Amino acid sequence: MPTRLCGKPILPIAILFLILFFPAAVFAEESYTFDAGEIEKKPYHFGGYVELRPVMYVLDKDSALYQLQYYQDPRSTLMEWNGRFQLEGSYEKGIGRVFVKTNTDLRYSTFANGSERTAIFDGYGTLKPSPSWKFEAGKKTLKWGKGYAWNPVNFIDRPKDPYDPDLPIEGYIMATMDYIRSFEGPLKTFSFTPVLIPVYDHINDDYGVNNRLNAAGKIYLLLYDTDLDFIFAADGSRTTRMGMDFSRNITTSFEIHGELAYIRDYQQPFLDSAGVLQSRTQDVVSGLAGIRHLTTFDLTTILEYYHNGMGYSADDMKYYYNYIRQGYNRYNSTGNAQMLNAAQNLATGGYGRLSPMDDYLQLRLSQKEPFDILYFTPAVTVMFNLDDQSYNITPELLYTGITNLELRLRAGFIRGSRDTEFGEKANDYRFEFRAGYYF
Amino acid sequence: MYKIIIFLVTMLMAFPVYALDGTALLKQVDRNLNPESYEMYRKLINVEPDGKKKEFTLFSVKKGQDKVAALFLAPASEKGRSTLRLGDNMWLYIPNVGKPIRITSLQSVVGGVFNNADILNLDYAVEYDVAKVEETGKEYLLHLKAKNKNVAYDQLKMWADKGKKLPTKIECLTAANMLIKTLYFKDHKDFGGGIVRPAVIETDSPLYKGYKSVMIYAKIKKRSFKDEVFTLTYMPNLESLR
Repeated sequence: MPTRLCGKPILPIAILFLILFFPAAVFAEESYTFDAGEIEKKPYHFGGYVELRPVMYVLDKDSALYQLQYYQDPRSTLMEWNGRFQLEGSYEKGIGRVFVKTNTDLRYSTFANGSERTAIFDGYGTLKPSPSWKFEAGKKTLKWGKGYAWNPVNFIDRPKDPYDPDLPIEGYIMATMDYIRSFEGPLKTFSFTPVLIPVYDHINDDYGVNNRLNAAGKIYLLLYDTDLDFIFAADGSRTTRMGMDFSRNITTSFEIHGELAYIRDYQQPFLDSAGVLQSRTQDVVSGLAGIRHLTTFDLTTILEYYHNGMGYSADDMKYYYNYIRQGYNRYNSTGNAQMLNAAQNLATGGYGRLSPMDDYLQLRLSQKEPFDILYFTPAVTVMFNLDDQSYNITPELLYTGITNLELRLRAGFIRGSRDTEFGEKANDYRFEFRAGYYF
Repeated sequence: MYKIIIFLVTMLMAFPVYALDGTALLKQVDRNLNPESYEMYRKLINVEPDGKKKEFTLFSVKKGQDKVAALFLAPASEKGRSTLRLGDNMWLYIPNVGKPIRITSLQSVVGGVFNNADILNLDYAVEYDVAKVEETGKEYLLHLKAKNKNVAYDQLKMWADKGKKLPTKIECLTAANMLIKTLYFKDHKDFGGGIVRPAVIETDSPLYKGYKSVMIYAKIKKRSFKDEVFTLTYMPNLESLR
């Protein structure tokens, strides 16, 4: 007989209370289902990603890059609305497969109004006659290198954003092959990936010198539990490049990695102290050394040092910023923007790269699921320019608890004195929210 | 005298029955759980204290003692991700990132209570020595000790059904005897091909109070693979094995 309270049965009330306030307790009795339809393989696949990313910039009116970008339209803040839409599809039959991924970037700001760019990021066909052999042709990326923020040995792809290294990038049209062999003993894996990259009118014409068929390749070894890559890109649209990288776990939670790249006859435009455009050609070496460490309480530390052999010295950058200031003053006094236009061209020629100088240090700390909050990852990234001691601090909060939805809140605090890389950035602060949905 | 001889012979013959070979028992448990080389479909469900769930569907392949790979089939945000384990080495491949990165056994690529070692698990006998076997009613209690420091849990206490020689519960402990998590093996199911094993593994952890994770097995099939399948270069192509 159920217990009664004031003439009412307690048990049903207690059950209702449990259902309302302790749904997990009810779930504990739930039986789990797994339909065969969920794992049925279809020959085709469609999917995509849609993103909204508003960004607010608090601008530094005294900085050189502010003067370069906003000389016609002064302002103290800038609101930017970014959208991204990606569609991907594949079809597989037998040993063949085709894959296409398109990307559309939309941008609206109170400064530049609206813009839209659509591109095929990947579009290639694959033939895989056996697990040891694979042939691919079409537009794709290679993503060579072991570094998190930078990859000096990634000789072929477009450069990735060191402030957001996981963003997808547009590929180049190429033909590749993979040959894989496995062994018993210290050498567990050997693979060879030769690559051909054509550069002709309307084919990879932003890659380098036109009318060349470029050869490159990578040899991968898993030797004594160490990942090793040996990479080359022969002389062609770009000068000869050679490199190697490695990655290895010292302990289960401590990994080290590194890259070394040698580039022959690298030609670099630069401004001399008089503001005259010059060019120097030299063999350069770039390198990266990094660690990744995980504590027992799930704090991941990534620390990387990057030497950019193709970078500019502190003096080079100082002359560039001086040139912009002279151009800005001339524009204000005469209305002549010729110097500022020339400075814009130099930005696309190298001064405007995401890591334009010689030596950088990046530290990233991310704490997974603190305070038992599942799918929540706060992180902070510090990018430090070792040449001029300027820096950028980026705290962020990431939440992935809702299936297929990714929410990220990010800020950027940029610090540096005059004539330093981060001191001369157009903004002092930036605040960004990103909501991305996969389907 | 005749009776004494019969008694002695009987005792000598009976003795090996009671001296349990823990290693053989653990190997038997391993074989009853999975064939040495197989393909498998699993669903992982993370359950939060408020009942909210997040599900992941995986296709896994294993060869021999130390080669395991898993491919995420769902949800859409994880589709195409793959993980590879070669002995103590583990990598994660994310299509957008485009290259495998090294991960550790204690990390979790799915969040929640299951970590990478639980998802890319090798045979227990490969990673653990049997320190002691006890008999507790209808179950054996195996005390397992990690063979080296690279193993995710320093100690395991495994309760195994005496008749079926399948685990019913496993406690994962640190070297200091601190409980990290408990795995509960439930719902025995015939997967065909002579594979009869628990179809559900639930886990909870004192480190994640109120949370639990569940692994549901839908399909397990004996299958052989070439070694080249278990390489970094092959990671983007695991889907072609389905």
